Amino acid sequence: MSVMVAVPDSAEGALALTSAIAEARLLGTDVLAVNLGLRPISPEHLMSGETRITILERTHHESHAEVVLHALAEHPETERLVIGVKRRSKVGKALIGSVSQTLLLEADVPILAVKLPH
Amino acid sequence: MSHGAPAPGLNTGVTLPPLEAGPHQRRLDLIAIVATFGGLLFGYDTGVINGALEPMKADLGLNTVTEGLVTATLLLGAALGAVVGGRMNDAIGRKKTLTIVAVLFFVGTLGGVFAPNLMVMLPARVILGFAVGAASVTVPVYLAELAPTERRGTLSGRNELAIVVGQMLAFIINAIIANLWGHHEGVWRYMLAVAAVPAAALFVGMLRMPESPRWLISQGRHDDALDVLREVRSENRAKAEMAEVEQLAQEEAESNVGGWSDLAVPWIARIVMIGCALAAAQQLTGINSIMYYGTELLKDAGFSASAAIIANIANGVLAVAGSALCLFVMIDRMRRRDLIIRGFIATTTVHGLIVITALLMPASTSRAWVILVLCVTFVFFMQLALNVPVWVCLSELFPLRLRGFGMGLSIMVMWLVNAALTFAFPSIVAFAGLAGIFGLFFVVGLIAIAFLWKFLPNTSGRSLEQLEESFASGNFS
Repeated sequence: MSVMVAVPDSAEGALALTSAIAEARLLGTDVLAVNLGLRPISPEHLMSGETRITILERTHHESHAEVVLHALAEHPETERLVIGVKRRSKVGKALIGSVSQTLLLEADVPILAVKLPH
Repeated sequence: MSHGAPAPGLNTGVTLPPLEAGPHQRRLDLIAIVATFGGLLFGYDTGVINGALEPMKADLGLNTVTEGLVTATLLLGAALGAVVGGRMNDAIGRKKTLTIVAVLFFVGTLGGVFAPNLMVMLPARVILGFAVGAASVTVPVYLAELAPTERRGTLSGRNELAIVVGQMLAFIINAIIANLWGHHEGVWRYMLAVAAVPAAALFVGMLRMPESPRWLISQGRHDDALDVLREVRSENRAKAEMAEVEQLAQEEAESNVGGWSDLAVPWIARIVMIGCALAAAQQLTGINSIMYYGTELLKDAGFSASAAIIANIANGVLAVAGSALCLFVMIDRMRRRDLIIRGFIATTTVHGLIVITALLMPASTSRAWVILVLCVTFVFFMQLALNVPVWVCLSELFPLRLRGFGMGLSIMVMWLVNAALTFAFPSIVAFAGLAGIFGLFFVVGLIAIAFLWKFLPNTSGRSLEQLEESFASGNFS
């Protein structure tokens, strides 16, 4: 049993990580954090008290959605996926695609989507 | 000549025993010489069109559009070769890739030499271009991976120098051939044929060269990698270097993690945009228009056809002088940002002077000479400040995990901008004259200076981690 969380290098990523830690505590399990940024996840976001966090780093070239889907396939013990969502412009979607949309449609586990307050 | 990318110098923190002299040293020198033939060929094949175009125009019945097409198809092939060559490097190794590249150089050369018409000439130029592009991504990597850490910088620089020397040789040999056999029909075929000689040398040489130890390790072939290191290092140094090579192989794998989806982060999108703009601005100085069309240009300036092809040698010589001065003196003496921006100020000023000369001086031999002097001054400043420094700056600009993607995209932008400008150049000159084309370079130069002044961060004197930290927190100075 684990809660997996996708952590891009953004405010949504930090929020998703905090929410995943709370969710894991509720379920009494640990966190698998998929780092989608280009830098290590900042230690201040990793304050988790009792909850154990395993960080999964990217190892080769894939789109962000593929990275998370492959991590899910490699960790079948995952029972929840946490993602941060935000509004994307049409142009942005066309250029880079929407990671959240792909995950909502493709992932086989229940997803907890969190967003920043307006 | 603003095409290649030197491999970034990496500090792995592994301590190594000092280099020792011995038979392995001579072996390493030989490897460097053979691999540099790739750079020479690159230069020769891009430069040879400069003198060959004039006789070819009459022979194949070229107009300004097809003239641009013959020159630019090589660059489209090169864009393709840069992408496919990078994949081949990883899949089949550096040695096999370079051997195939040598064969393609040969095939492309023969295709051009015997082309009866455009239908054969254009595909031959694409094949030759493919070889040029693949060489541009393979030779620096191969050299950097075989060189000991202490000599890595000089060896990558040697490839840059080989490219401009190859162009200079092409200009000189063109002038000699034009003077000896200028009256022969199809004299341009002799000029193109000369490139078959270094292609054959590269092929024969590569058959005897070892594979890159770093690639062997990335394939899990550790024993083979150690065998190669024993050939090019002393015994105890070879063993000590295995650890370093493994670390570099891992770091290289990490450098290819990033891609399009990382552009969603604003600071990363901004870095990639700056990188691509810098690559485009470098090409839009028009350096390669001079390297490909210099002879034509000097004829337009007022030289006779036979004098123009000789005068064009000056462009080649000053390119070599500027590159050498950059590599051996300038590159580590000035902040990267200052060197690049001052370089653009210098080239743009010269462009402005060329416009004034072309507009104000009446057509005469003295005008031709003034334009020649300005032209070589431009080439000198360009090679001094905007060739190697731009590539070094790009290799430092991108965060490690994005480096493969960022460099790949910038190199792609560079080839495509080069191809578009090269294709359009004869038509623009025919339509707007020398003043028109250099006026365009001048305006683009002003825009580039303003853009870089505002956006280009300084990348020298800081570690890559420090740079990454500062960009991520929104500080781009």
